[in-house]
Amino acid sequence: MAQNDPILKIDSLSVSYGHVKALSDISLEVGKGEIVVLVGANGAGKTSIMETVLGANVPVGGDIEFKGIHIGGVPVDKNVRNGMFLVPEGRGVFASMTVMDNLLLGAHHNLKNSDKKLQLVFDSFPVLGERKLQVAGTLSGGERQMLAIARALMSSPDMIMVDEPSIGLAPIIVNDIFEILVNLNKEGYSILLSEQNVYKALKIAHRGYVLETGRIIKSGTAEELLNDEAVREAYLGA
Amino acid sequence: MEILIAQIFNGLSIGSIYVLLVTGFNLLLLVAMIIHFSFPVVVVFSMYISWFVMTLTGSVALGVAGGIASAVVVNVITAPMFQHIMRERGSVDINATMVISMGMGMIITDILSHTFNQGFPIAFPDALTGNDQGALISVGLVSISRGQVLTLIVGIIFVAFLFWLLYKTRAGRAFRAIAEDPNGAKLVGIPLLKTGFQSYALTGILGGVTAVLMAVLLGSASAGLGDQLGHKVLAVSIIAGLGNLTGGLIIGLLLGILEAIIQGYLAGSWSNAIAFIVMLVVILAKPKGVFGSKL
Amino acid sequence: MSLPLYYYLAITAIYILMSWSIYIPYRVGQLHFMTVANMAISSYFAALMAINFAWPFWLVLIVGTLLGALIGFLVSVAIGDAPCFAVVIVGFTFIYLTKTIIENVEAFGGPLGIFSIPKVLQTSSDNRTLLLIVAYALVLLTGFLISRFDHSRLGRAASAIFIDRDLAVSFGVDVKKLGMFLQTWASAVGGMSGVMYAFIMRSISPNHFTFHLIGVCMTMLFVGGYTTLWGALLAAPILWGFPLILPEALQSWNIVIYGVLLIVVLVIKPEGIITRPTVKKIESLLSRNRKKV
Ligand SMILES: Nc1ncnc2c1ncn2[C@@H]1O[C@H](COP(=O)(O)OP(=O)(O)O)[C@@H](O)[C@H]1O
Ligand SMILES: [Mg+2]
Repeated sequence: MAQNDPILKIDSLSVSYGHVKALSDISLEVGKGEIVVLVGANGAGKTSIMETVLGANVPVGGDIEFKGIHIGGVPVDKNVRNGMFLVPEGRGVFASMTVMDNLLLGAHHNLKNSDKKLQLVFDSFPVLGERKLQVAGTLSGGERQMLAIARALMSSPDMIMVDEPSIGLAPIIVNDIFEILVNLNKEGYSILLSEQNVYKALKIAHRGYVLETGRIIKSGTAEELLNDEAVREAYLGA
Repeated sequence: MEILIAQIFNGLSIGSIYVLLVTGFNLLLLVAMIIHFSFPVVVVFSMYISWFVMTLTGSVALGVAGGIASAVVVNVITAPMFQHIMRERGSVDINATMVISMGMGMIITDILSHTFNQGFPIAFPDALTGNDQGALISVGLVSISRGQVLTLIVGIIFVAFLFWLLYKTRAGRAFRAIAEDPNGAKLVGIPLLKTGFQSYALTGILGGVTAVLMAVLLGSASAGLGDQLGHKVLAVSIIAGLGNLTGGLIIGLLLGILEAIIQGYLAGSWSNAIAFIVMLVVILAKPKGVFGSKL
Repeated sequence: MSLPLYYYLAITAIYILMSWSIYIPYRVGQLHFMTVANMAISSYFAALMAINFAWPFWLVLIVGTLLGALIGFLVSVAIGDAPCFAVVIVGFTFIYLTKTIIENVEAFGGPLGIFSIPKVLQTSSDNRTLLLIVAYALVLLTGFLISRFDHSRLGRAASAIFIDRDLAVSFGVDVKKLGMFLQTWASAVGGMSGVMYAFIMRSISPNHFTFHLIGVCMTMLFVGGYTTLWGALLAAPILWGFPLILPEALQSWNIVIYGVLLIVVLVIKPEGIITRPTVKKIESLLSRNRKKV
C-alpha cells in the first residue's frame, strides 16, 4: 500500500470522549511525501483522528508512530517540536491578533530563524506580507485559510494535517487552497487532509480512507476510490 | 482649583494602584483562566510580610525584597491547586476557582488579623514612606507627597512594561493566544499549564511591587484592607468588562480620581460608600461592562 | 435547656437558612451574597420595630420577610440574568453599604449596635422554646419548598441553566424570570433569618453581618454539597458545632479551618460531600427497607 517508509503509522486506534466512543480500530498510514485524504460525513471522526495524532486527545487504545517513534499520549507541544502541525477545522486563527503574531505562534517552539521563515512565507503568500500588521479578524475566509497554512509552515513541519480546509469557502478559492497544498506536497511536505468535498480532494490525493461513524470502511488509491461504486454513490452523488 | 488639581493627582496615584491590581486580576483571568477574587488579599499579605521583615531587620531594602518575594511565592504555590481544578473541569466552571480564591482570602485575612502586630493595623517606617521629609511639592494648601509621585511613576513604568511584555514578547504572544482561544492555542502547540504557570509568576511580581507601592503611598495597612480592595478590583474589572485590560486601566484611574475628589468634600467611610454606590449603579445598569468583556 | 445548647440549636437553624439562601440562586449558577445584606437589613428593621413601635413578633417576622423579598426583587430586575461575577459584586456592595450606613447613623446604634430587643414571651424559657420551634418550623418549611422546587419543571430548568446556559436558552427557558424568582426567594429567606436572628440574640451589631458570615455559609454549602438541599442541612450543624468543642486556643481560628476545609473539599470532591448520586443511593436504600417491612 503505502510507500516503504511511512511518516505516520496508526494501528488499531480507538478514542472516546467520556462514554462516547468516537473512533474504533482505526489503522492507517501516511507515506513520506504523500497526500492522504480522510473522507467522511460530519461526525465520522476525521477531526478526532487528527487531534489524537497531534496529542490533543489521549487515545484509549492502539498505537501511533510518527517518524518511527511511538507518540501515543505525547503532548501537543512536543509533537509540534517533532515536526507535525495541524491546520484546524475552521482555520483556528486568532482574530484579535495580527497576521504577524499568528505566524509567529506557529514558530512558538523555535523562534530561531523566524525572520528567514517569515520571508519565505511572505514570498509564497504575498497577501499575508501586505497585511502583516493587520489583525487576522479583518482577513477574508480564503486569506485566513492561507494564514493558517502559512502558520503551519512557520513550525518547519515534516507533516501537515489539514482539517476540512474547504469549509465555508467559494469554489474558486477552494481550488486555490488545494493548489497550495499540491505545491507544498511537491516541496516535500507529507499531508494528511480531511475533506467532505470528496471529489476535489481525491483529485489531488495519492490515497484515501473512507470513514463512517468512527470506523474505516474503505481504503485505496485515490483512483480506486474515485471509481468505486459505493463511494461514487455515497459521496459523489453519481 | 489648586485643591482640585491636588486631588486629581492624589486620585491618579491611588488609581494606578487599582490599575496594577486589576491588571494582575485580568491577566490571571485571561491566561490562567481563574477568577482570583482574593488576588488583592495576597497583595495585602505581602504588605504585611514586607512590614514584618522591615521591623525584624530594620532594613527597608530587605523589606521590599521580602514583600515582592512573598507575593511570588504565594502565587506559585497556590498555582497547582487552581490548575488542578482547571484540568478537572475544563474552562467551564470558572465559579469554582472564584470560590477557592475566596477560601484563600478567608484564610489569609484571618491569619493577618490574628498574628502580625497582635491584629492591630501596621504602620510602615518613615524610611520607606518618606513622610518625615515632608511634602515633595507644596504650594499654598496643595501638597504632593513623595509617595504619590513614586507610586504614579512606578505604576506607569510597570503598566508600560506589562503591555510591552504582552505585545512584544514570545510569552506575551502565548498569553494573548490563550486569552482569545485556549483550545486554539493548545492546537498550535502552546502548553496551557506551563504558560498559565508563567502568568502566576508574573502576577506574583506585579502583586509584590504593588504591595510595596501601597506601603509607600498609604503608610499603613490593616487585615480588612484586602477584602475591600478585592471588592473594588472585581467591581472595576466588571465595569470595564471582565478581562479587558485597556478598559481596566481607564476605569481604575477613574475610580481613583472619583474617590479622591469625594474625599475632598466628605469624611471617612462615607466617601468610600459613595464610590461603592457609583460602582453599584453602573453595574446594575450594565452588568456586562462598559467596554465589553474579553471572555 | 442549657443556654449554650439553646444558642447552638438556634444559630444552627439560622445557618441552615442562610446557607440555603445561597443555595437557591446557585441553582442557576449565581452566588447571591445579597442575602446577607437582606439579613442585616431585616434584622435591624425587626429590632427597631419591636423596640420603638412595640410591633408583635409575628408581624415583624412577616413584614421583615417581605422586606427582604421586596429588596431582592428590585435588585433582581437588574441582575436576574447577570453573570455570576456581577451578582457577587452587587451582593458585596450591598453588604458594604448596609454596614456603612448602620455604623454611621445614630438611630441604628452605630458600631455598638442595638441592645435589649424585647422577648416574645414573658419567661425566658418559654421565649426560647417558642423561638426554637419557630426557627425549625421555618427550616422545615423552606426545606419543603426547596424540595418541591427541585423536583418541579422549574427545578429541572434551573439545573439545565447551571450546566449549559446557552443550551437552556435555546430550549426556551426564561433565564431572567427564573433568576429573578430565585433571587427574590433567597432574599426573602435572608430577611426571615435576619428577623429570627434579632429575636434570638436580642442584641445585634454591624459586625454580625460581614464577610465572615458569607465565608461560613459558603463553606457549609460547598463542603456539604451544592447540588442538593441536603448538603447545607447536614453540614451546618457539624461545621458550626465542631469549633465549639475545640480547645479555646483553636476556636478563634475557626475561619482558617473553614477556609482550609472549603479549599480541600473543592479540590478533592468538587461537588461537595453530599451529591445527587449520594441522595439517590440513600433514597433507594430507604425504599428497599420500607418494602421489606
Ligand atoms: N469534544 C467532544 N466531546 C464529545 N464528543 C465529541 C467531541 N468531539 C467529537 N465528538 C464526537 O466524536 C465523533 C466524531 O467527531 P469528529 O471527529 O469531530 O468528526 P468529523 O471531524 O468527521 O466531523 C462525533 O460523534 C462527535 O459527536
Ligand atoms: Mg471535523
